[in-house]
Amino acid sequence: MDEIIARSNIYALLSRILLQELDENVLDILKVDPTVLDFFPHWNEWEQRTTLSNKEILEEYLNPDFTNLSILHLVPYETFYTRSDQMIETGGANPVTDIYSAYDFLVDYEIARVVSADHIGIELEFMHHLCEAQKKAFGENDMDAVKELENVQHNFLNSHLLRWAPMYLINMKYEARTPLYYDSAEMTLEFLLNDNEILSTRL
Amino acid sequence: MMYLESRRTFLKGTALTVAGAAIAKGVFTTDAAAESVKESKFTNTPDTLSFYPPLDQWEGFQELDGTDWKRGGINRHGVQSEENPDGIKVNDYIIVPTACSNCEASCGLTGWVDKKTFTVRKYMGNPLHPGSRGRNCAKGYAAQSQMYDPDRIPFPLKRAPGSKRGEGKWIRTTWDEAMSTIGKKMADTIRKGDELSRKSVMFHVGRPNENGFVPKIWETLGLDAYNSHTNICSANGRTPTIHFVNDDRTSPDWGNSKLIFLNSSHAADAGHYFQQAAGYIADARKKGAKLVVMDPRLSNSAGISDLWIAPWPGTESAIYLYLASRILNENQVNKAFVKRWFNWDTLMNDSEYLNFMVQKGFISKLPAGRDFESYLELLKEMYSGYTLEFAVKETHVPAYKLEQLYEMFLWAGDAITTYVWRATAAGNRGGWMTGKSVFFLVGLRGAIGTVGGTGFYHSHDISVSGKGGSSTVGQGKGGADVPKVTAWNELTWPPEWPLSTYELSFLLPHLLTDTAWQKKWNDRGLNVPSKLAVYIPRMYNPVWINPDGFRWIEVLKDESKMELTMNLSPVWSETNWYMDYVLPVGLAGERHDQHSEATLPARWTSFRQPVLRVALEKSGWKPKDPNRATLEAHIKAGLGEVWEDNEFWFNMCVNYIDPDGSLGIKKMWESKRHPGKPVTIAEWYDAAFGDNLPKLHETVMNDSRYANEEFPVYAYMRDHGTWLEEDKIYSVQERELKFEDGKVVSHEKKFDAASMSVDSSGIITANDSEGKPKKIGIQMDGKKLQGFTTPTRKLDVYTQWVAKEWKWPEYAMPMYPRNDKEKVEMVHIVSHVNHYYMKEKNEFALNTVFRLPYNIHTRSANSKHLMEISQNHDPIWISTKDAQNLGFKRGDAMRVRIVDTVSGLESGYFVAMAVPTEGVLPGTLACSHHGGRWKLTNHVTIPNGVTDGKVVPGVAPRDLNDKAFLAESPANVGKEGAQTKIDDYSGTTGINSFGVPVAEIQMDGKEGKLKYVEGIKGFKAERFAEYNRDSENVWWDGLSGSWQNAVAAAHPDPVSGMHCWHQKVILEPIQAGDKIGDIFVNYENNFKIYQAWRDDLTRGLDSNSKLRRPKHIFRPWVKLDSASYDVEIKG
Repeated sequence: MDEIIARSNIYALLSRILLQELDENVLDILKVDPTVLDFFPHWNEWEQRTTLSNKEILEEYLNPDFTNLSILHLVPYETFYTRSDQMIETGGANPVTDIYSAYDFLVDYEIARVVSADHIGIELEFMHHLCEAQKKAFGENDMDAVKELENVQHNFLNSHLLRWAPMYLINMKYEARTPLYYDSAEMTLEFLLNDNEILSTRL
Repeated sequence: MMYLESRRTFLKGTALTVAGAAIAKGVFTTDAAAESVKESKFTNTPDTLSFYPPLDQWEGFQELDGTDWKRGGINRHGVQSEENPDGIKVNDYIIVPTACSNCEASCGLTGWVDKKTFTVRKYMGNPLHPGSRGRNCAKGYAAQSQMYDPDRIPFPLKRAPGSKRGEGKWIRTTWDEAMSTIGKKMADTIRKGDELSRKSVMFHVGRPNENGFVPKIWETLGLDAYNSHTNICSANGRTPTIHFVNDDRTSPDWGNSKLIFLNSSHAADAGHYFQQAAGYIADARKKGAKLVVMDPRLSNSAGISDLWIAPWPGTESAIYLYLASRILNENQVNKAFVKRWFNWDTLMNDSEYLNFMVQKGFISKLPAGRDFESYLELLKEMYSGYTLEFAVKETHVPAYKLEQLYEMFLWAGDAITTYVWRATAAGNRGGWMTGKSVFFLVGLRGAIGTVGGTGFYHSHDISVSGKGGSSTVGQGKGGADVPKVTAWNELTWPPEWPLSTYELSFLLPHLLTDTAWQKKWNDRGLNVPSKLAVYIPRMYNPVWINPDGFRWIEVLKDESKMELTMNLSPVWSETNWYMDYVLPVGLAGERHDQHSEATLPARWTSFRQPVLRVALEKSGWKPKDPNRATLEAHIKAGLGEVWEDNEFWFNMCVNYIDPDGSLGIKKMWESKRHPGKPVTIAEWYDAAFGDNLPKLHETVMNDSRYANEEFPVYAYMRDHGTWLEEDKIYSVQERELKFEDGKVVSHEKKFDAASMSVDSSGIITANDSEGKPKKIGIQMDGKKLQGFTTPTRKLDVYTQWVAKEWKWPEYAMPMYPRNDKEKVEMVHIVSHVNHYYMKEKNEFALNTVFRLPYNIHTRSANSKHLMEISQNHDPIWISTKDAQNLGFKRGDAMRVRIVDTVSGLESGYFVAMAVPTEGVLPGTLACSHHGGRWKLTNHVTIPNGVTDGKVVPGVAPRDLNDKAFLAESPANVGKEGAQTKIDDYSGTTGINSFGVPVAEIQMDGKEGKLKYVEGIKGFKAERFAEYNRDSENVWWDGLSGSWQNAVAAAHPDPVSGMHCWHQKVILEPIQAGDKIGDIFVNYENNFKIYQAWRDDLTRGLDSNSKLRRPKHIFRPWVKLDSASYDVEIKG
């Protein structure tokens, strides 16, 4: 049970960081949460984290870096990496849309503010929901469902996230100009590979 | 490996505490939105890229709302439903076919009527239409913004009693009052019964956009007073076709052509049929065809062409005859075709004319023999002077381009299409000769009527709109019992222009005020009207579009010249301002017309319909008055008291012009089913289509959906909106005469087979329905072929009748003056803007006749969409070199003085904006004459428009699914006491607020001035407010053009009667106070210019004349009694 809670939490955390600019509430958590500071060592050591105001951190450091890493310079969308023409598939032919639909998930684009459903933040949040479902099944002692959900997670990782996210994340790590996003890139990459290894071993 | 080694263990306890779940963004929803998508038929992307559902779904078709769709589609929001109110809206449509009416092409449209609001949510194309194939240009889609134009005229208007024409004081009246007053005046005039009265009630149409209905009205009224705008449009385009093949215009097979040889941009981007033509031209180019555009201006077509040739305006014949000469001399003539179908034998057997040719120096000596080879030798000699060197010098086109063109010509074989319309034909004196020369050229290669070649109009057209006679008491089937008109109207067919292609309509104000001219011809035995009892323009704006507009205003204001006037017009216009009545009839989706055009080698027709009326009827609504159904439907829809021409004229003839039947007019339009009542739309069109289109009739009768309908053919056309009677029509001259029931059929006309005879030259003659012998065919190789419709039944390269009876021998063969001496002698075919007339560096030939593809004369200023994309932008395009020489920069204002090259008189000037470009031929300028709209005020208040107890037209919400709405209909529409409240109408209306700026004019009978005082600007729309919620966003001011038409003097071509639009102009810097758009006109001079062109150039009737006009060539609109052609002119 602990494991699934932890996995779910990490997917949620990473999806939030990679999806959009941070808001002050999230920043407050990231500034002080000991687990986060443990996960993000450079962020932990970064002096300005404690000396600057939230507004300064966001407007002068984090948001410009995020804009560069996810909008201007790098492209955090699966189809950019998987289509030969490097076009983002914004229509219904996006490969993840059908999977989301199969589980009755619909992306609310007004909240997500992305151009298509295969954004890294969305895919990570989808993993988070699958973990939540697994957690629920676990709570209800429905082990068939637990197994099935682990299968789904493993498939999703292997047919989607792992096929492209590492390329993005490596680039993100090299492009990052703030310790938070540098650490996030590294952690996401490592976590995905690690999570896949665990699921692979188990299945 | 690096990562595997460095991997941390994330899952050992610590992560349990991270606030992950709490901070996830939560981008997924699993609510009703997803459910609504599952339950709907919609998918996130369309299953098909077709715009159109299959026909069987047209009466109930659901589609996601286009505007709403921008929010991201159903995968973001789901489909709107009660459970998911925020989803994408679904429209519930009834799709009704109609046809565009903005230009003449009659592309198919479908009105998508939203059942829930009973409004047209969009106009799309009609996928069943063979010509337009489901596509439209911007003007087609704009039909919606015209329909919901906040300034559309909401009810019949009448000049306020006690006010003068042009004062701008209006009252609201009823259709009945207008019809009573106008009908009585017409009846009083007709009842006089004398010759003059039959010329004194005039109808004047801009673009008829129908095939014969209104002419039939005029025929049944017994009047020779149907007038059209043709001679400011296309007379010079039609004349060569009449001379060459006795048809109206070419009908090229664009889609299969190898060489698309355009004499202008007209076919492909600016003019008639361009949307359809451009599609077929694109098809051909995909297959490898080449596009050549001849145009002094780099038009859109020229820009994408394989070869752009920019000749000096009016010199094109020099190129055609150079090419002809090479074809002849290099033995590239399609001899089989030329020998079979050129009328070479007529020429070779005409010794008198051959001698004339020698005498004129066309040939040096008489031909050695009279055989075909001698003919070719004669042609070789005759055209040998048209060398490359000559062509280059005369046209200013570089030699390499002409040589390239020649190679293309040879390469294309007999798959050459050409089109001569407006452009050089309409612009230049003698422009018609360019047509004759190019037809000769194309004919030499045999590309006439072939697959991929150039065919002709009448075999590619359906004209049945006026032939519903069997539904009436009196007309007889197809109108057989309608008496022919017995009058000849000199105002429309003046004796100076016996060969004019259509009416000299642009001279109407001149002829009405030229008392010397009237006296001259009255003294010589004619009976010329000096005034009109009633003048009825229809959706036409003669004040603005004709040359010499101030003279039009003078005459329209003169109640002794035009006693009663009315315009059948949906919108305000410069002309309407001076009318007694403005009666709002409908736009494209608001009227019935049968309309066919020759856009491909096939015979198709559109059926234009009032889509809201049809949607109501299909939903089960019944009008209170079946003769005013369209009026009732438009009132129900909130458009206002907007009617349509067909029902208006049915009512006029039966109930207002001849209510007691004493004039013999009533029975002509009285319903056979319901005697005493006017015929209905369904009755008329069921007969018009059913009686005259056998394949359609057969198809309908074999279709179980329609066979048992009360009006099966009408019902079929109502549902489809189009019909293809015959496809793949080629080489019609080779078709054999058909024999059926004692009749012989040639070119769809029937003759008495028993009277048929063949003369020694093979010409077949038979009697028409009046027992008069007509040439109907030609015998060749033992077969009786229908041939062409010329007197020789061949292609009249040599137009003998023009040379002999009609006094233009030097122009009976394709010709162009070869030197300055010949330019003087053959002045009639030398453009009045030839470089020969340009002496100073600031003198230019102004090319005026090209069209702006998103505008259509006066028909587009009511469309916010068209105005936004065009802004009425209309500067003068000048070559960079010329601009530099004269010191003009982009945006500079210039004075453009117009000078006549016949009389030497000046017309005045307009002030225009310079735009230097590499896209015009140096020495020429380009400025479309479609700019410079004006109005005198921004708003009109009609005091009784909203008060006086106006009735509410209905109470049920407008919803086609609501039975209460379908059950109610306004009563007594058009009658006093039944005037309806107009939605959101406050009593004040704007005037073309999206497209027309405000100007001041001054005029004193001799000089006129116009100055703009205020540009177009944003405003808050009251009527159709939701549709026009963007009306405050107007960002264009419409102030770049000038009303140059008013400065232009009338230039009637001496042969065709075409107003030759181009101008010789002198460019000057502006003077103090000048603003772009200003005009100054000396219209006293303009009157003298019209007289000079008339008196110095024409060869009119004289004391030797026996006929007003050749009987064998087309005299459009009403059928005249044969005796009306006879004339005796006193010496």
